[in-house]
Amino acid sequence: MERMVMICLSALLLVACRKDKVEPEPTAPAPLPAVTGVLKLTVVPVWEGQPLQMFSEYRNHADQRVTVELLKMYLGELELTRPGTAKRLSDVIYMDLGTGPVSHFWAVDTGAWVGLRTHLGVPEALNMSDPSLYGAGHPLNVNNGTYWTWATGYRFAMFEGRYDLDPASTATLVNAFAYHPGRAFCYLPLQFDPADGLRVEAGDTTELRVRVDVERFFHSPEGVIDMATENVDHGNVPALALKMATNITLSMSVE
Amino acid sequence: MRHAALLLGCSALLLVGCRRDAEVAAPTSGERIDGPFELELPAGFPPLPEHDGARLTDASVRLGRALFFDPRLSRDGTIACASCHFPDRAFSDTVAISRGVEGRSGMRNSPPLTNLAWHPAFFRDGGVPTLEQQAIAPIHDPVEMDFNVQSAAELLADKEPYAGLSELAYGEPLSAFHLVRSLASYQRTLVSGWSRYDRYRQGDPTALTQAERRGLELFNSPALRCGTCHSGHDLSDHRYHNIGLYTLSPDPGRARISLDPLDHGKFKTPTLRNIALTAPYMHDGTLWTLEEVVDHFARGGQAASNKSPLVAGFTITDQDRSDLVAFLNALTDERPIDQVERP
Repeated sequence: MERMVMICLSALLLVACRKDKVEPEPTAPAPLPAVTGVLKLTVVPVWEGQPLQMFSEYRNHADQRVTVELLKMYLGELELTRPGTAKRLSDVIYMDLGTGPVSHFWAVDTGAWVGLRTHLGVPEALNMSDPSLYGAGHPLNVNNGTYWTWATGYRFAMFEGRYDLDPASTATLVNAFAYHPGRAFCYLPLQFDPADGLRVEAGDTTELRVRVDVERFFHSPEGVIDMATENVDHGNVPALALKMATNITLSMSVE
Repeated sequence: MRHAALLLGCSALLLVGCRRDAEVAAPTSGERIDGPFELELPAGFPPLPEHDGARLTDASVRLGRALFFDPRLSRDGTIACASCHFPDRAFSDTVAISRGVEGRSGMRNSPPLTNLAWHPAFFRDGGVPTLEQQAIAPIHDPVEMDFNVQSAAELLADKEPYAGLSELAYGEPLSAFHLVRSLASYQRTLVSGWSRYDRYRQGDPTALTQAERRGLELFNSPALRCGTCHSGHDLSDHRYHNIGLYTLSPDPGRARISLDPLDHGKFKTPTLRNIALTAPYMHDGTLWTLEEVVDHFARGGQAASNKSPLVAGFTITDQDRSDLVAFLNALTDERPIDQVERP
């Protein structure tokens, strides 16, 4: 009896104590029970099908020369779906795509899944939270350089580089562009459903590869970026922020 | 009986094991116990608002004060909070636009830092809802301190007085979490409400001169209506107004946050407490004297499309202006705002 009381109170003690700081999410799952497999989400930045090379000169849809110098983004409320149910994988993940593909791992139930649904950006409750809560390694840690200190919230994506409007020019690229879509209206849904679904086997890793075609950031059926007039948004040009956020979501597809 | 004793012991353990963010923490040394900070409030002021259930402790406030004056919060160790918020200027700056690291220019005039505990939002556009979150901004801003709260906390954590005060206040080493909370705690203690005007309101008819009393009448008169926005214990409604400083303000003001064009060029009503100490005036520091400010409102400002209807202009004589400015000069505190080092 005493042992039972002790166990119950010890459990209560553990549950009742709240940590001040939010610990980082693990990047790889712990050893798995037999009925669990691993889902690996890999996000791959490309430019017209080829691996994106930062600081390399590309031509955009308008034949203007551009380089990409910074590419970061958040995905929020990631859920693995199958008919009638969904499993929350993470509230938010952060990706610095400047060094190539980024992977995240989750332990998930085995079986057939339809795909992954998520959003571009940070869910509202987290977006309004105090960033000093989040320690090193957490997606919302302020050292990621994504927090808007003046407006309370995170930049959902950061896309920066340089450009030249003159296709014939060979001069060094000096004009900077910076697109920082954020705020609630840029929190846009994404769905990644492979044609054959996702089959997770016990003890195995199933990879979902999502391609981000960065060239498509500048144009989509929903909107075309005019670099001459639309080259900077620091959260102060809502129409441009929404157009860029929309183009980013439309640039992402299952590889 | 044994079960009851066990239950009691474990319940005590449960209570001890749970610590609120800013509550008094037991010191590890056992030498000293942190206590509540005895903040003195002026007569007639509302009680200090609770913030997330936290209360001010002596160690957290002293820790915040030490941080406030420490230039190591900036990337190159040259800029402290106090570099742009001078205590003898009601914690405002003496220049129109403050300079940050490497002389980089900011965007707006540094406001005074008094009575912040009662502000519903921070910065001149109200973009940040808490003092804790506000504390992050200047440390990270590339044109201010250009550093980050994590690195700053790591730099200072093993140095005194931070190591000792952090243990005392929070029971653990200084972190970014504690750094911003301490800065917020200290700033909540910067209370202004001890001017001659306050003594006059409390029933001392000799506290204001005849000219100052006439200035007060003008201040609240239907013609000038200054007291419509500069109201309450902080002499501010803490709301956002376009006062016609520009026809089209180069600074979007509140619209930067709300994204509403109708908020373009609106800024939070500044407190008038210690106004004689906080020149230059306006969000961009373009007016250098109180006489210029009075003349701006007398002219009715520029024809901004969303200018406040309260800024409609008025006729004022030289004597009126002189009396009004005399009253504004009577809003200066007669004692230090900083209560940490008070005698």
